[in-house]
Amino acid sequence: MVPMDMAFAKFPFLSAILLSCVAGLLVILFIPEERKGLIKGISAIFSGIALVLSVIIFFAYDKSLGGLQFVEKLPWVASPCISYFNGAGGFNLPLILLTGIVHFTGVLTMWELETRVKEYFALYFLLVTGVFGFFMSLDLFFTFFWYDVSLLPMYPLIAIWGTTQKEYASMKLFLYLLAGSALVLPAIIYLFAKSGLNTFDLVALMEPGTFTPFQQKFAFIFLYLGFGILAGIWPFHTWSPTGHVAAPTSVSMLHAGVLMKLGAFGILRVAISLCPEGWQYWSGLMAVLATIGIVYGVLVGLTQKDLKYVIGYSSVSHMGIVGLGLSTVTAEGLNGAIFQMFAHGIMTALLFSSVGYIYERTHTKMIPELGGLSRVMPVASGYFILGALAGIGIPGFANFWAELAVFISAIEVYPIGGIFAICALVLSALFMLRVVQQTFYGPKNASIKHHLPDISFGQGLPRMMLAGVLLLFGFFPSLMFEVIQTFTIPFMEGLPR
Amino acid sequence: MKWVLFIPELWVLLMSAFFFGMSMAARPNPRRDYFIALFFAAAGVIVTLIAVRMEGTLFFDVYRVDLFSQVFKVMLAMGLFLIISLCSELNGIPDFRHHEFYLLLSICTFAMMVMVSSVELLTLYIALELSSYSLYILVALRKDHGTPMEAGIKYFLVGAVTSAVMLFGIASLYGAAHTTSLTDLVKVYPGVVDQPLAFIGLLFTLCGFFFKLALFPFHVWAPGVYQGAANQVTAYIATATKVAAVALLMRIVTLGQSSIPLVHILVVLSIASMTLGNLVAVMQRDMKRLLAYSAIAHAGYVLIGILSMSPEGYAGAIYYAVAYLIMNFTCFLVVIKVADDGRDLQIDQLAGLHRRSPLLAMALMLGVFSLGGIPPTIGFTGKFLVLVAAMQKGYFYLVFIAMINVVISLYYYALVVKAAYLLEPEKELPAIILSPAVRLLTVAMVILIVAGGLFPGPLYAIARAAARLLV
Repeated sequence: MVPMDMAFAKFPFLSAILLSCVAGLLVILFIPEERKGLIKGISAIFSGIALVLSVIIFFAYDKSLGGLQFVEKLPWVASPCISYFNGAGGFNLPLILLTGIVHFTGVLTMWELETRVKEYFALYFLLVTGVFGFFMSLDLFFTFFWYDVSLLPMYPLIAIWGTTQKEYASMKLFLYLLAGSALVLPAIIYLFAKSGLNTFDLVALMEPGTFTPFQQKFAFIFLYLGFGILAGIWPFHTWSPTGHVAAPTSVSMLHAGVLMKLGAFGILRVAISLCPEGWQYWSGLMAVLATIGIVYGVLVGLTQKDLKYVIGYSSVSHMGIVGLGLSTVTAEGLNGAIFQMFAHGIMTALLFSSVGYIYERTHTKMIPELGGLSRVMPVASGYFILGALAGIGIPGFANFWAELAVFISAIEVYPIGGIFAICALVLSALFMLRVVQQTFYGPKNASIKHHLPDISFGQGLPRMMLAGVLLLFGFFPSLMFEVIQTFTIPFMEGLPR
Repeated sequence: MKWVLFIPELWVLLMSAFFFGMSMAARPNPRRDYFIALFFAAAGVIVTLIAVRMEGTLFFDVYRVDLFSQVFKVMLAMGLFLIISLCSELNGIPDFRHHEFYLLLSICTFAMMVMVSSVELLTLYIALELSSYSLYILVALRKDHGTPMEAGIKYFLVGAVTSAVMLFGIASLYGAAHTTSLTDLVKVYPGVVDQPLAFIGLLFTLCGFFFKLALFPFHVWAPGVYQGAANQVTAYIATATKVAAVALLMRIVTLGQSSIPLVHILVVLSIASMTLGNLVAVMQRDMKRLLAYSAIAHAGYVLIGILSMSPEGYAGAIYYAVAYLIMNFTCFLVVIKVADDGRDLQIDQLAGLHRRSPLLAMALMLGVFSLGGIPPTIGFTGKFLVLVAAMQKGYFYLVFIAMINVVISLYYYALVVKAAYLLEPEKELPAIILSPAVRLLTVAMVILIVAGGLFPGPLYAIARAAARLLV
């Protein structure tokens, strides 16, 4: 592998992002419970700071230089060597940007929350801290540390503010994800112990020749399955639709939009980077599971009556596309997978935030009870339809490019699986359009009141941002691809053949 | 001037002597007694902290003072202070017994301090018995609630049997190695390790501390005693005595450094203990019983560090002991404050805690998640260090089984959090008013839990320095 260039940060942007979340959390803890407006205002300000910083680093990243930039390194524990080590590169910049966007829009989406506001935003900030930390960390210890920090608040967030079957769903999600981390931790410690370097530094451990082929194959399967649970890989996806359905809107957004990417990113960052030979060895299995996931998600989604379940299963299917991209062992596949993580994150966030609005007004998210909604709420319906079109992969949205990149390389490497996946995509168009037709067009359901308020400009702001981002990267995909390629191309060239 | 080395113990002994006098002479006055005890305990912490860098031997070399023993003495003094700070409303103990309560508590602490320093098996045994007997009485002292007599007798019977086993073990060790001094045993033992007598001797000697730690198969007393004893006494048993047991296990296990069968037995005990503890804990409805089973599970985790028999493993176990003291105390703090009349606390009775006292609810959540080993808490770091040590010895399966156990345990820990944050009480309960001192204590505990998870560096460095003295 080509050693990664490292450019240390002049200003600690990455730590500043983390700090903005921690500071937000602490400030919220010291505001009295009754000052709900103030809490929301503070949350918006701090999440806004995080967003601005993540946009800055995304565009300030020097693509001609490549490698790791904005690097910060502080020794944390002397022996075993653990360091607070952050850096940004083509592999994580899209995801940091994604987190920034979903974080900010998530806060705005929950503007109307009235119950236990303080606790909600405190836990929400803790969750986001973990997510940011995970994406930027380059130390194995901290990678796992942040991974678990981001899982911890999920349980109370869903159990307290959730809806359908919330207690069941939150416990299931919590235990599934922690079972995932129970697979990941032994593998991480195993790699640490076998390396003999006495360090958790990911970059140092990535040196070729650190691990024998057997060690790579052995650790890879644990890491893949462990992170795969969070990535919603079939057959470990069952927590995800129930969890998404039960969660409150912004948690669904963050969860489907960002948290599932944590799993896929973990596979990329830890499993694939440290065990490239294990990756090549197990890629067939990855492809099979991913393809089944794509097809299965679509088929089950076809029969759902609950709008949120529809999105939940489409997530399973779309995360399957990420998995398929990762399984191709090609630079194009990786490009597509990373881009898909970003695009799918924004798209699901848009869908969930639209459904959240519809549910708040109509108090139902069952498709048969809706119908003709576009007559009552044209704007809210518009956002959902935009998201659905993006999900189908219509050109002009970011998802199109991501899926295209994945499918091109998948067809080359796995012709049969690729064809299955593409057929599933056509089916998914059918199923999304069916949902759109039944929910928003056709005769108006009698039970829907006529004077339901539509999304106002202020409430529409977060949805506008999400839709805007989808279109921006849809029309200018090179903005994203050029960043991602600074990682994927040197990485693939460095792999032993 | 060698007596300076003995000052921490002397101070605690002075405290018990003082309360011994009080118990005979003075009328009980809970408020006054509480402040006197608090003063003694707080000064005890300061004295042990001052003495932390002392080194030397006492009493014809049966008593060694070094960083290892002093670190544990600080933990024990800390434990005593923390428990006494929760005794402002000592409703579980009859008023006229308060002097005896403080007397026994300090005697027990004294005995355990002697225990962590002694390097001679007979001294060790006597100190162990002294601490055990104080506890048998303390358990039975409770009034009004539960079944203290049953718990006390159960504790006594199991304790008496294990101490007989242990004595048998010490005798066998002596038979094989012709010495009871640990300093000599370390040199002689590797030569006789293959003799069945020596092996049995070592294993049986360890049993005395397995009992203290509530490790399978010596765990049977734990649920009954935890539930039957007064809340403060349970808190003491659950924190301070475990710390001492961990110290002594490490000290004695170093003898068997070269014995592979011993490692195998410890591995089996560790797996059995954590699996049994976690599986049974899932069914519990009583908070203290739940914590008892979780203690059985934790005995298994901490044993992972000890059985690694490497400096890293011992350091991890020391770190784990500190973590365990802090997080378990935090949970008991919540139990004691919520059940302020001294009753047993059911998990359901935590309902609505987030409104009655947001601070306690947060402390409880951090405490149980720390027990569960989720970052950013001290419990996570402790578990991580222990598992790293085991993996460096190549015990992949052990680490894996431990992690599966962690997932099981998180189910019941999450149920506790759910009770505190999600369930609503049947009838509206009044808010829990905490005094400023308790508030401060709770906040300090919360900070310690998080700081131990975020900045393990300094504490781990001390643990390593202490562990290096063992091997």
